[in-house]
Amino acid sequence: MASATGIPAVPAQKAPATPIEPLNTDAARIYTHIHPFLVLSLYAFKFNDLVADPVPALLSTLLPLAVLQIAYVAICLPPTSGTSTPAQFKKQKLGDKKKPAPGKLEKGINGTIVPAFLSLLLTTLASTPLLTSTLVLFGAPVTTHHTHTLLAGAHIAVLSTLPLVYVHGVSGETWREAVALLLPIDEVYGGLIGTVLGAWLGAVPIPLDWDREWQKWPVTIVTGAYIGYAIGKLLGGTLLKGRKIMFE
Amino acid sequence: MAPRKALLALANLLIPVAILVFATGFFPYKPFMPGLAEYEDVTWMSQQGESRGDLQSPEAPFDKLVFMVVDALRSDFVYGEESGMSFVQSLIRDGTALPFTAHATSPTITMPRVKAITTGSIPSFLDVILNFAESDTTSTLATQDTWLAQIKAKRFGDKQGKLVMYGDDTWLKLFPDFFERADGTSSFFVSDFTEVDNNVTRHVPNELLNDDWNAMIMHYLGLDHIGHKAGPKSPNMVPKQKEMDDIVRTIYTAIENEDHLSNTLFVLCGDHGMNEGGNHGGSSPGETSPALVFMSPKLTKITQNQADVQSPMQPKTEGEFDYYRTVEQSDIAPTVAGLLGFPVPRNNLGIFLSEFLGFWDTDSDRTQLLYRNARQVKRIVQATYTSQIFEDLETSSRHTETLECNHLNGGEKLACLWNRAVRQVVGNDTDITKREHLSKFMYEAQDAMSSAASNYDVSRLFLGTGLAILICMLSFFTISSLRPVSSAGLYYSLTLALYAVLMFASSYVEEEHNFWYWITSGWFFYLYLGSLREGKNNSWLLHPALMALVIHRIVRRWNQTGQKFAGADDIVSSGIFHGNNSMLLWVLVGATYLDVTNRISRHIARSVVTLDKAVATPRVDAEPEQQHRMMGSLIATPLCVAAVVFKLAFTAKDAPELTYGISEGIMERVEMLNLVDLARMVFGGIALVFAWILFSEYQRSTRRAKLHIHGNGDLATAFLDMFTLFLLTQTKAQNVPLYLLFRIQFFFLTLLPLTQSQTALTTLLLSQTSFFALGLNNSISSIDLSNAYNGVSGYNILAVGLLVFVSNWAGPVYWSVAGVCLLGGYGENSARETRSDSITTGAKPKRSWVEAEHAHLHDLAKPKAQIADGKQEKDVWTSHVALLTLFTGVMLASVMAACTALRTHLFIWTVFSPKYLFAMAWGMAWHLGVSLGLGGLVWRMGKW
Repeated sequence: MASATGIPAVPAQKAPATPIEPLNTDAARIYTHIHPFLVLSLYAFKFNDLVADPVPALLSTLLPLAVLQIAYVAICLPPTSGTSTPAQFKKQKLGDKKKPAPGKLEKGINGTIVPAFLSLLLTTLASTPLLTSTLVLFGAPVTTHHTHTLLAGAHIAVLSTLPLVYVHGVSGETWREAVALLLPIDEVYGGLIGTVLGAWLGAVPIPLDWDREWQKWPVTIVTGAYIGYAIGKLLGGTLLKGRKIMFE
Repeated sequence: MAPRKALLALANLLIPVAILVFATGFFPYKPFMPGLAEYEDVTWMSQQGESRGDLQSPEAPFDKLVFMVVDALRSDFVYGEESGMSFVQSLIRDGTALPFTAHATSPTITMPRVKAITTGSIPSFLDVILNFAESDTTSTLATQDTWLAQIKAKRFGDKQGKLVMYGDDTWLKLFPDFFERADGTSSFFVSDFTEVDNNVTRHVPNELLNDDWNAMIMHYLGLDHIGHKAGPKSPNMVPKQKEMDDIVRTIYTAIENEDHLSNTLFVLCGDHGMNEGGNHGGSSPGETSPALVFMSPKLTKITQNQADVQSPMQPKTEGEFDYYRTVEQSDIAPTVAGLLGFPVPRNNLGIFLSEFLGFWDTDSDRTQLLYRNARQVKRIVQATYTSQIFEDLETSSRHTETLECNHLNGGEKLACLWNRAVRQVVGNDTDITKREHLSKFMYEAQDAMSSAASNYDVSRLFLGTGLAILICMLSFFTISSLRPVSSAGLYYSLTLALYAVLMFASSYVEEEHNFWYWITSGWFFYLYLGSLREGKNNSWLLHPALMALVIHRIVRRWNQTGQKFAGADDIVSSGIFHGNNSMLLWVLVGATYLDVTNRISRHIARSVVTLDKAVATPRVDAEPEQQHRMMGSLIATPLCVAAVVFKLAFTAKDAPELTYGISEGIMERVEMLNLVDLARMVFGGIALVFAWILFSEYQRSTRRAKLHIHGNGDLATAFLDMFTLFLLTQTKAQNVPLYLLFRIQFFFLTLLPLTQSQTALTTLLLSQTSFFALGLNNSISSIDLSNAYNGVSGYNILAVGLLVFVSNWAGPVYWSVAGVCLLGGYGENSARETRSDSITTGAKPKRSWVEAEHAHLHDLAKPKAQIADGKQEKDVWTSHVALLTLFTGVMLASVMAACTALRTHLFIWTVFSPKYLFAMAWGMAWHLGVSLGLGGLVWRMGKW
């Protein structure tokens, strides 16, 4: 397994990617901790419905989840500056620190809400199909349960990639690094890794002969993704922050 | 490096030791009582108080026995509504036949079942191995007490009892020199539906006219063969049942009409059933529910007072196979003994079937029968629970109080039940109460004695497990690259740790394939991520690791396996290969063979050019020219055509529904061919061509040695391709296309720069994956015997055993060899690159993994001394073996620990014991024989 060793991010030749710092506002500091609880509570609240009939439950949870995630990125995270290089990005962030809270609502909407919805759009259009096909590659049923798998993919996408799109934009290089596990760990990236690992580990209980309703597709996968997201975000934002994943 | 190799060798030598030590503790020979049982004097005061003196044994209603075993005769084949056995059903309705469902305990394969039927005991699991190694003579019943021995010893009138036997030669092996006349048939030719049965039936009319025998045993195999081939719903099944029904009619009519047969008991039974796939060995309801019918015109005496029996009928539980009363298979022995009037065999744990008590008119005779049966069972119980006191008739007469036994357990309870029953027998209760108590004791004894927990040699279990753990430790310390911890090493450890834990979960033993599929998917994705990090490979979508994952996804759906979702749709059974669509299957099969042909012809072309230009050029590797390629194709094509024709002819007999898409004209011609000769032709051709390639490669290697150039693995690749052709011959037609997928996967893997530990892990994962993808799982019933006799005309234990192993472990064997090629970097592209390398520069060929290793070492800038290349090369193989050995050690240790810890578990005989048998095969045959033996050979070939 990839290990998060204790070596801090070493400067490479190109501009180094730095871990994402949450915004330096009170709301951000508080909400970033509340958010995982809200997400998990939403999931726990819907869990029985999900076990009873996955498709409608997953579908109806998707919107609240998206709202929560949008709120999270809008309140807590610095939006990407489009095609800006990490260096510029860093500078902008420093600027933020110096003059706290401009207080302009309009600027807030332009700066946060619009990118948040753009990330949602991108998540829906690009990352959901990609993650769904990844699920199929890892053994999701091909001939049946199409909606189940698609919705599971959508949940994983909203959990994992929406915040990442919001903070990193659509730069191909950054995304290659993200997929190759080269970015430094922060709460957003940690959330992504946690979600994907959780979904993978979620397949473990399916073959057991416990004859429980919740063993059916894709309940365990989605559950694993949610729990993995919460753990990954927590660890990424605290313990493992700034570290890089070492392979060899 | 020497101590390391010594440790590794020691670890590998310990593997068979650990396996055997554990096996002898886990499957002990059950102690049995030698000698024949004899009637003893039994005396008791009957309820009227009159003394009877020594009681005569009750007079037997029958003096002849026809015992007809139909292999795999599941209860519904006789009793169900779709059964073809209408005559037997009419006898059941008339009251001249008594139907039962005879519960067969696991393992449900023929030899242990015959033992249970004849001795009345419950055979140990060891008989499974002996069943496959049939030549073993230690498993005979010649010295044991059986009803056959009793009949032989009994005097019928003025003659000794005589036996005749026709059918499955298992009986002849179990009872050597028992039979007056016998004709055995081998059960391994599973594609034979008619010949095996005709071989039995042709003797029946004559034997029915003979009056010199007292028991005729027949064992029909055709029905079992149909099941193995095409399952219980095969179109051949009902006609076969009708055929069996006709034989029953012939015999029954003779019993009715012939005077010398008038006192004949006719028993029809199955030795085991079959599951929905037509296989057996496990413990599903279908496998453990054979039919058991007693027939005789005299049976009306006991059935006349009964209510009318319905037949055909529905099973009591929907989807199960419980028709009429369910009894134990071992009950057959005491029942036959009682009905023919001889003592119950000594090791019997069966109970006289109470229905037949009606043959005796007096109550005391009935009680005496049960009492003798119970007394014999008591002996075994007494031998097991030596500390308990079992009273005799004489001693018990002193006690009068009634015992309360329900609160006791184990031996105490049995002793209490026995003592209570004995007191009843001498007491003044009615005979019905006496018999109730005797039966109660016997049922409890049967339960207790057949439960698994009683017979382990626990110290050996611990010793075996300890040895396996020692193997793990020894091989762990031989792994070279403990530091720095590589990611492959971490993933390897994760795999081992998870595997060890999962072996304790019965459902994960049944669903083991899911673990391997899951972990392999993860591994390929992980290789993908690792490769992306390097940034060398620009194509992120058509990336080799991703492609390998895509193929893995197809491979895992090829055959549905395991228990939980058994029978779910998979690629093979979805219908795209069946009926008229079978053309699609044969196109894929053709493509697979074409690919192999192409490769083989290239190898031949190379050897032709080597021998052709032996003197002409001093160059080591001459490029094959047009005429050489032509020559290669000319030799390879007939060989592969023969292989395809064999596959076609075999499939026409094996699974005809897969050949309907092919024109009848072709099939008619193909079906005329002799399978054994064809198979020999293919095997011989493969051996011949490989010998030739070997010779030419030897020429090349001597030339290379002169120029001090290392080998580039051409011979190893040639071996892989020739061996693939052999494996294809041993594979069912519907699985042949898998090898095309494997080959493509192999190709993609050669494009990845895998390190040594990554290669070892990939080899392990793909070996396991391919085993399950070929349709096997951890139950004995999944073992496929259909390819066991390819090219073998008689029973040859070595050849058949080898073919059985190869045809079932074909996938793992393929990947072991392919893994060695991966390790050496002998893949498609690298081989060609290295060849051009050596032609142009004569430089030492660089293996892709060596490059990777160097780059990696360089990256980390570790102050590690660079090892000389030659030394490192040798090291690679040792490290590879170390990782494989560690895996085998962990597998054995975890399976053994699970079997030891869970030895009282409900599923110990159905899930964990078969898993241990599979672990034995993995450890001995696959790891030692294939991975190390064959793999080491290929590794050496690559160095030529």
